[in-house]
Amino acid sequence: MEKENIVELKNISVAFDGEQVLDGLNLDIVDGEFITLLGPSGCGKTTTLRLIAGFLEPDTGDVLFEGKKINGVPAYKRQVNTIFQRYALFPHLNVYENIAFGLRVKKRPESEIKEKVAEMLKLVNLTGLEKRHTDTLSGGQQQRVAIARAIANHPKVLLLDEPLAALDLKLRKDMQKELKKIQQQLGITFIFVTHDQEEALTMSDRVVVMDSGRIQQVGTPQDIYNEPRNAFVADFIGESNIVDGKMLKDYYVEFSGQKFDCLDKGFAAGESVDVVVRPEDVDIVEPEKGMLKGVVTSVAFLGVHYEIIVDIGGFKWMIQTTDEHFAGDSVGLYIEPDAIHIMKKSEYSGLYGDYSSYSEEIDHLSDAEEEEP
Amino acid sequence: MNKKAFGNKLVASPYIVWSAIFIVVPLIIMVYFSLTDQNGAFTLANISDIGKYKKAFGISILYAAVATLITLVLAYPMAYFMTKLNISSQRMLFMIVMIPMWMNFLIRTYSWITILANTGLINTFLSKLGLGPLRLINTPGAVILGMVYDFIPYMILPLYSVMSKLDKSLLEAAEDLGSDAFTKFRRVLFPLSKPGMISGITMVFVPSVSTFYISQKLGGNKTMLIGDTIEYFFNLGPTYYNIASAISLVLMVMILVCLFIMNRCGGNDEDGGVLM
Ligand SMILES: Nc1ncnc2c1ncn2[C@@H]1O[C@H](COP(=O)(O)OP(=O)(O)OP(=O)(O)O)[C@@H](O)[C@H]1O
Ligand SMILES: [Mg+2]
Repeated sequence: MEKENIVELKNISVAFDGEQVLDGLNLDIVDGEFITLLGPSGCGKTTTLRLIAGFLEPDTGDVLFEGKKINGVPAYKRQVNTIFQRYALFPHLNVYENIAFGLRVKKRPESEIKEKVAEMLKLVNLTGLEKRHTDTLSGGQQQRVAIARAIANHPKVLLLDEPLAALDLKLRKDMQKELKKIQQQLGITFIFVTHDQEEALTMSDRVVVMDSGRIQQVGTPQDIYNEPRNAFVADFIGESNIVDGKMLKDYYVEFSGQKFDCLDKGFAAGESVDVVVRPEDVDIVEPEKGMLKGVVTSVAFLGVHYEIIVDIGGFKWMIQTTDEHFAGDSVGLYIEPDAIHIMKKSEYSGLYGDYSSYSEEIDHLSDAEEEEP
Repeated sequence: MNKKAFGNKLVASPYIVWSAIFIVVPLIIMVYFSLTDQNGAFTLANISDIGKYKKAFGISILYAAVATLITLVLAYPMAYFMTKLNISSQRMLFMIVMIPMWMNFLIRTYSWITILANTGLINTFLSKLGLGPLRLINTPGAVILGMVYDFIPYMILPLYSVMSKLDKSLLEAAEDLGSDAFTKFRRVLFPLSKPGMISGITMVFVPSVSTFYISQKLGGNKTMLIGDTIEYFFNLGPTYYNIASAISLVLMVMILVCLFIMNRCGGNDEDGGVLM
């Protein structure tokens, strides 16, 4: 049985103070799926959620819910609930009353409320904390209360705005699994916002990659990772070496001064393209056996593997390998045809995929040492 | 450690001396006069005489309560409206609320006479239209108006300060969970703005209940509030200091009891505005 669309965004545009925040957004969300909006800060993720929740009306375009236009329907009438980024638990109410809030507003009988709250507390593993005040809870517990409070209302769609951003890594991983479990158990559509690409890939049925108010690509995590549509997506999801190339004919591409077999077709002969090669798909071999030759410029040990930077004709490639190499070594690179992915040129071409300034990228925390003039 | 404690004491000492001279000593004097007769002998007669002034007490409390209620009803939406504006408009409105407070309270009250008097601004205007004159000055309404006008900033400011600190996403969360505008107010805004209301009510009720100037200027001689009574006795000279002190003491105790009850209601309210 084909699943229906539960939420549809039709050609949505939103501007704040003349600044375009969403620009012609089209998105269909399927009933029961776990869909993630992924993108850098300020790309319009929260704005998109607010449109669906009813806190914001689009300048142009329509929001559809179960096929019906809901522009202008106030938030409190929509069958959608939100988990806010900072949880927004009611500080004047205890855990029980926070979870019961929606049911009380809907004037459900006391017995039903009691039963429902108990069920929710069990679902999120908080049984026994009914009487606690929310400011005495840990971050993870507050998160669970927020989830329980939203789900107690039986929403058809749950909107989650970076719900795990404030948690530490370990707790975040646990909550990822738990959220996914809850979603599968209840069959509610989850629209999840994050700027953590790993979180998006592990949790979602589909990922929507956004940048500057536009959708860059929609697809399964595998699609997005293996077949990025442009340099932005390739760079944002995982690590990528992105080089200029020229399609010589179908299944045959030239880059870095060499010609390669590949699996892509459908480009004009001689068309300029962006070529993506993932760092884990490159094999390091003896210089004379390599398809490309270069010199190792830096090595970082990351536990599972080494991340090494290889200078090939002035372009810095990142390669992940389990073998140890040293800065200054001459190496050859071997690339299988299926490791090469070809993308059409886009506005993002040339902006990403070069690891010349890599040391800055590794150490967000420490100041970039050598690069700064 | 000791040195630090000593240092702290040193820094606090001017304040302690100040409080002693201007707060504690007058209080002791007041209690002393309340509990003694003209010869300085101990007596409870002054306190037991208070019953004679229960009408003044009653009217004062009634007027102050009405004025406080009106102030709250006016200030609450005003404060809420202020928090909705952009920052520069908020600052501007804040100034507009503050400016009258920089003017002398007596002058502000006095200016209402020129507006409400029989030959004042309103009645002059009405007579031009062939209406009136209305009796505005020397009415209970004028006294309450004076209280509301003089003290409303003390209601707006604490309400505004509480509301502007309130996390906007709480109201959105309430709406998200199915609350219409009224339910949002009743279940979230109201309970969370309670601390502001309590300090606002206190700061308006206390000066209103003990005022004497407003009632004299705007109420004529007809309304004798408890503040007027105290002033009246003090003006009669030292013979009447004992009774005046006794009334002050009782008024002060009543206010303290009210404050205590109010703070109890505000502080320990487990499930907030659910019961309203
Ligand atoms: N109420 C508003 N008034 C003016 N500008 C706004 C408003 N809300 C959002 N914006 C702007 O719209 C853009 C998108 O904001 P949005 O909150 O949707 O980003 P986001 O993708 O959720 O980012 P983040 O990951 O940082 O939360 C930003 O440039 C932001 O400054
Ligand atoms: Mg956001």
